[in-house]
Amino acid sequence: MTTPMEDPIIQLYRDSFPDVARMIRRKGGTLEEAKDAFHDALLIYMEKEKAGRLQLHSSPKAYLLGTARICWLRAREATVALPEAFDAAEPADAGMEEREQSLRASLVSSGKKCLELLKAFYYDHCSMQDIAARFGFNGTRSATVQKYKCLEKVRKEIKTNKAYAP
Amino acid sequence: MRPELNEIHLIDQWLLQKLPEAEAQAVETRLLLDEAFAERVEAQRICHQLIHHYARRQERFRLEAIYRQLMNEAGFAHQLNTIFT
Repeated sequence: MTTPMEDPIIQLYRDSFPDVARMIRRKGGTLEEAKDAFHDALLIYMEKEKAGRLQLHSSPKAYLLGTARICWLRAREATVALPEAFDAAEPADAGMEEREQSLRASLVSSGKKCLELLKAFYYDHCSMQDIAARFGFNGTRSATVQKYKCLEKVRKEIKTNKAYAP
Repeated sequence: MRPELNEIHLIDQWLLQKLPEAEAQAVETRLLLDEAFAERVEAQRICHQLIHHYARRQERFRLEAIYRQLMNEAGFAHQLNTIFT
């Protein structure tokens, strides 16, 4: 049941996922695969919408169906290709994941407020006016200065991280 | 802003491809001549990547939470179980 104040993403999820699941099922996929493909498609949709680059030629549901189909096919191709490449790919992937985890710790050490501020600007594409209001700054200038201070902090942390090799 | 923050602003504008052509070319020339500057640019590029990865992980957690929430609704769960049985 849809409530009037429901988050638009939850609404979109509720309206679109059963159709995506049905499509993946018809192609021989599982519920887990349908969910993964749908989440990939929804992330693409959300990121494009935030960046103002979403071009819809039909409904959001049709966009998600088409994108989820491509995501599922790609994931399936990758799984099928895995046995041959598995031995070679495993150590490199593990190393990359370890490096990313270590660098992510540098980001987290900048503090919750910095992380959220940086996410709001660089990922959510919020305006500096919105950021100033949301994070309680006096104005856009203070918010901008704080954003660069946060970035400076993360950059310093990264440069002292053993996983960082320029 | 202090000079260090002004430089971070300049690098950011360059990484986000928001600099006018002449200023972008000046940054690119400096990248070739100034090793320390190039290293700061690279570290800042990694910052952007990390922020993006962090944010995407947060969004994935959010989508997983929505999935669990909807699967707790009898009607939604029944609809999906019917598709996969």
